[in-house]
Amino acid sequence: MTTLTKEIVGVSLDARGIVVNYDGVLAVQDVNLSLTPGEIVGLIGPNGAGKSSFMNALAGDIRVKSGVIRIGDRDVTRLAAYKRARLGMSRTSQKARVFDAMTVFEGLVTSVRGDAGASLTSTLRVGRAKAAEAAAAEKAWELLDHLGLQHIANNFGNELSGGQRRSIDLAMAVIREPSILLLDEPMVGVAPALVPALLKEVRGIAERGAGILIVEHALDVIASLCHRVIVMAAGSVIAEGTYDEITENVEVRRAYLS
Amino acid sequence: MQDFVSISLVYLGIYALSAWSLNLQFGYAGIINFGWIVFQSIGAYFAAVTSIGPMTSHSYQTYIFGSSLAFPLPLIVGTLSGAVLAAILGYIVLTRKIRSDFVAVIMLVVAIIALQVVTANVSLFNGANGLSGIPQPFNGVLHLSRAGYQWFYVGWLTVICIIVYLGIEWLCRSSWGRSLRAMREDEELATHLGINVQFLRLVVFVIGGAIAAFSGALLVEFLGAWSPDAWSFVETFVVFVAVYIGGRGNNRGAFLGALLVPVIFGVFPSFLPAFGYPGLSSTLQWIVIALLWLCTFYFRPAGVLPEGRLIVQREGQPDVSSMFRRGWQGSRKSLQSEGR
Repeated sequence: MTTLTKEIVGVSLDARGIVVNYDGVLAVQDVNLSLTPGEIVGLIGPNGAGKSSFMNALAGDIRVKSGVIRIGDRDVTRLAAYKRARLGMSRTSQKARVFDAMTVFEGLVTSVRGDAGASLTSTLRVGRAKAAEAAAAEKAWELLDHLGLQHIANNFGNELSGGQRRSIDLAMAVIREPSILLLDEPMVGVAPALVPALLKEVRGIAERGAGILIVEHALDVIASLCHRVIVMAAGSVIAEGTYDEITENVEVRRAYLS
Repeated sequence: MQDFVSISLVYLGIYALSAWSLNLQFGYAGIINFGWIVFQSIGAYFAAVTSIGPMTSHSYQTYIFGSSLAFPLPLIVGTLSGAVLAAILGYIVLTRKIRSDFVAVIMLVVAIIALQVVTANVSLFNGANGLSGIPQPFNGVLHLSRAGYQWFYVGWLTVICIIVYLGIEWLCRSSWGRSLRAMREDEELATHLGINVQFLRLVVFVIGGAIAAFSGALLVEFLGAWSPDAWSFVETFVVFVAVYIGGRGNNRGAFLGALLVPVIFGVFPSFLPAFGYPGLSSTLQWIVIALLWLCTFYFRPAGVLPEGRLIVQREGQPDVSSMFRRGWQGSRKSLQSEGR
């Protein structure tokens, strides 16, 4: 399955008319998004605007009521989350998920190996598995080096600070070299000193061909990263454009920025 | 006295296999299988009926699938029966989005129902009286004394335990074992990494079920008899307590737990001279096991030998991690030194 992931490096994500509701409560109402390779799109809006619900729907964590999601030209609307991940989709969570009783290093290696590491048959091909593990370990060291986080390689997830958790969550998503990356508030609680390294990592993966959708309240992050910004309020898109365009928008100012 | 040592050692082997099987399911993968005993039991029954011979009109017991297969086959049939049962039950329960505590209750209910059905339905495995007269492998060939055969069985079980331990330990240290722990820690995150957690859970459930059935098959070949008394659902909790006390997620811990709980506090007292009124010693035994469990929770919540931590170091760099080390240092070797 890894070869399948490799084949689609640099694919587009296309969502049309996405509707999400929780037991009748409408969370996302007819939202469209297209994300091309290398593009960084910001998604902003007040709390409860449906940003995270929309992202969860894209990742396959919740079901859409209606609408179509495509990765490349493949319809993934009904595809399970792990299959979307195998197609090159990667995400971070608002909760900053890490494996609590596993070390940071193990988490990163697990992330690189993904479904191949969890497959009994590929584990039993000892020679090939060994080589893949060694390559994954090398990759993990490299990324920790980049981020200046080598000193927490052997820390358990539950020993990390809030900011460290978020960084490692992002690192686990980036290290998979995804073609589509969904980031849910990746900079919340991250120490200012670490932010530039993370931003560089995000920009770097976009330059290598990943399309990135980023939900963030820190507008300086949005301003510095995003090619395009979408503003949601009460489940719908109220504005779309460059950062400068949307900050000039009266409706956006009233709903979010004022 | 010789009996006491050899029988205790046989039970140690059986309970070690049991604890490893449950540790794989619960300690590593986080599946709370409160119906574990059913898997050991089905292995015992199938190994029994496939070695006991076909039922004749003179048979004093009734059972299904009666046949007399040559030596390793009953063990294999028993093991496979556990795997098949685990696959069926696992497919029904584990591939749905059911919370782990509900899974635990469902498994417990399955265990209770299975016990009732087998006890009530005499035509399956001879009901409440159970099966007896199950031939012991090689006993006819070796012409050993009773004690001699018991020691022979200790040796045979030791070989099996070493092989199973090495196999499980290798699996648990592999990327597959790491994925199990990842699934246990955060299912959703594991999903985002492309891991099919429902399938992974099913696979580990089947492997654990097969090992449980294997332990049952080995036990019934030693005892020569098996009845519903041997597998009331509380037996599951003995193994759970063993894994908890020894240390979940650590196969050496599971072995230690198997030695401490079912063998020292379970098998040993049955060799003590009787005291008090009948049933007093077995009641005290449960109280002691429960107290031991509570003390473990209080003093060593992760068990006597916890899972431990995989310490890695980049070659040629100072070990910066050492100042962040905390708590128990695991016995697992470094990822790099293992060359994985």
